Amino acid sequence: MSKAPKPATTRRTQYPLPVVDRLLNSLSRHNAALLLFMVCCGVAVVGAFVIRDLRAANAEAQEIYTGSVHGLQRIGELQYDAQETRRATLYALTTTDSNLQVEYADQSRDADHRVKEGIAEYRNQAKSSEEIALAERLNRDWMSYLSVRDEVLASILEGSIQEAVNLDLAGGVPAFEHVRQDLNEVKRLYGEDASRREANLNASSQRSSYKLVGILSFTFLLSSGAVWAIQRSQMLSRMQLANLQMDFVASVSHELRTPLAVIRSAADNLADGVIRDRDAMRKYGAILQHQSRSMADLVDQILLFASTEDRNNRYVVKPVPVNQIIESAIATTEALLSGAGIRLDVHADPDLPPVMGDLGGISQCLQNLIGNAAKYGGDDRLITLRVAASGSGHSSPEELRISVADRGIGIDSSEIQFIFDPFYRSPRVHAVQIHGTGLGLSLAKRIAESMGGRLTVVSQLSIGSTFTLHLKFAKGEEIEEAAVDTRQSRLSQT
Amino acid sequence: MTALLMAWPHVEAVRASIIVPGLFASEQVSATEPLVIVVNRSNPVNDLSWAELRKIFLGNRSHWSNGRRITLVMREPGEAERMTMLRDVCGMNEDQLKNHYLHGLYTGEILVSPKILASPTGVRKFVFNVPGAIGYMRLGDLDSTVKVLSIDELLPEDKGYRLRVPLEVANVN
Repeated sequence: MSKAPKPATTRRTQYPLPVVDRLLNSLSRHNAALLLFMVCCGVAVVGAFVIRDLRAANAEAQEIYTGSVHGLQRIGELQYDAQETRRATLYALTTTDSNLQVEYADQSRDADHRVKEGIAEYRNQAKSSEEIALAERLNRDWMSYLSVRDEVLASILEGSIQEAVNLDLAGGVPAFEHVRQDLNEVKRLYGEDASRREANLNASSQRSSYKLVGILSFTFLLSSGAVWAIQRSQMLSRMQLANLQMDFVASVSHELRTPLAVIRSAADNLADGVIRDRDAMRKYGAILQHQSRSMADLVDQILLFASTEDRNNRYVVKPVPVNQIIESAIATTEALLSGAGIRLDVHADPDLPPVMGDLGGISQCLQNLIGNAAKYGGDDRLITLRVAASGSGHSSPEELRISVADRGIGIDSSEIQFIFDPFYRSPRVHAVQIHGTGLGLSLAKRIAESMGGRLTVVSQLSIGSTFTLHLKFAKGEEIEEAAVDTRQSRLSQT
Repeated sequence: MTALLMAWPHVEAVRASIIVPGLFASEQVSATEPLVIVVNRSNPVNDLSWAELRKIFLGNRSHWSNGRRITLVMREPGEAERMTMLRDVCGMNEDQLKNHYLHGLYTGEILVSPKILASPTGVRKFVFNVPGAIGYMRLGDLDSTVKVLSIDELLPEDKGYRLRVPLEVANVN
């Protein structure tokens, strides 16, 4: 069975990118918006990455800058306080006023406390062994100077100026020179550390630049790829539609040409007087009748498809008895099946409640399914129509399932997703010269959905296919409303 | 400072009585507090006799037992602490003390004249900075940067401690 269709040309492409095109084809089916959404997500992720990287680089630069400023300030304060310690001590030499001398001594001691704190801070923050050793040496030299400073201060306060000067020259100056050298060494080490930090910052900045360029390039490529993919997807869609339309025109032409040829030939024979006896004329009349009906049916299918294209609901959905559906399906397909020598087995559960739908629509849908089964049903010549409620029990069935099963050629799993597309015909049915428009299943699906139902298929290649129409059972109030409407309609007629 | 003051609770009691509103002026004047003798904390000396104290403050002793030169620190003339020291330790008035030092310096018996500091804080800082310094201050001006000497083995909180200075009523109020 199977509506197989899609002309082989539909899937064949003129571009040497079959895998990419298959992917794009799939994408185009779900809308290019998905692709755009993915690109936007990609750009957003990339943007977040860029921002994060820039922030990290800025934080690193800020840290280095802050560290440099703080380090320079610390060294400057250390040098100033060391000088202040010595300066205040020497100021005490310039006066004989004990009160001023005490004040200078106090200033010297305040400054030396700050120097001690600065050295301790430097020692705590020292990282390299060289810095640690320098911090300890600076502390040692500073304590040596302070011991001399204390002696000098004591001598000054005692009034022994000469002794104070001698002490300072002998011990204070060299001790303070050691301190000064240590502070210069601190400055030198800090300079080297700052140079390293600057080099690291430059390297980090360069890395950030490379990353930024890389990310922007990636974003550009991604965007370009997305645009290319969208354009290609749209082009493929248009090509596919054009191919489908060409196939449709070819199929319709073929379907029309066959009965037309028969009609013309019969008409020629009649016009030329080749047919003279009554029996032969009756036979030709029957042929003309049959072929014209076939053409009318084909035109009806096309018109029906065109009318359902806008998806507007053209059916009146109301409770329909199941037995009417079965009777209508049998009646509308009897001629077709008997003509083709196909037997229709009907298995229906008893006492099924009415379903919601339009009898004409349901009949048309089943007619298409049965016609499809007759066309692709193979040599078994048997179609099974099964009507049952859903679920294992009948306590609270939700829907009615009307299945049309054949034992024909079946449908390949890769084609299942296409068989409800308009104009789609499988390359296999093309190959075996089974003609059709590719509209039957598409129409059946649209009709089912227009009535609130759905159409499903289960198929296995070379085993057969089963199409199932799912319709909802009518509820109590819907049945009552339908009964009231019917009564009112009869009353108005009488 | 607080810890040291806790050692002399009676001083606090006296000070407290001074600031009680309605206290008579005669009662306030009669209130005294110990005048403590302080040296540098590195000084090994802990006790002096009354006679040794007098010799030091008259400039008749120039070195400590460890060889450090003695540097005498005094308050400015007119201060209650100085007047107490002159009266109770030196047994002189200002003029007599001045003449004594001039004579001693002239004869070479006294090597250095006393250093004059304007405030108890100055005295305390001077003593803190100079290992051989000795000075005096009110008990209330004492802190841990200097060491208190006992006189004739009597500490300021002991009964019978002789060096006492009138409380500074105006300052307290």
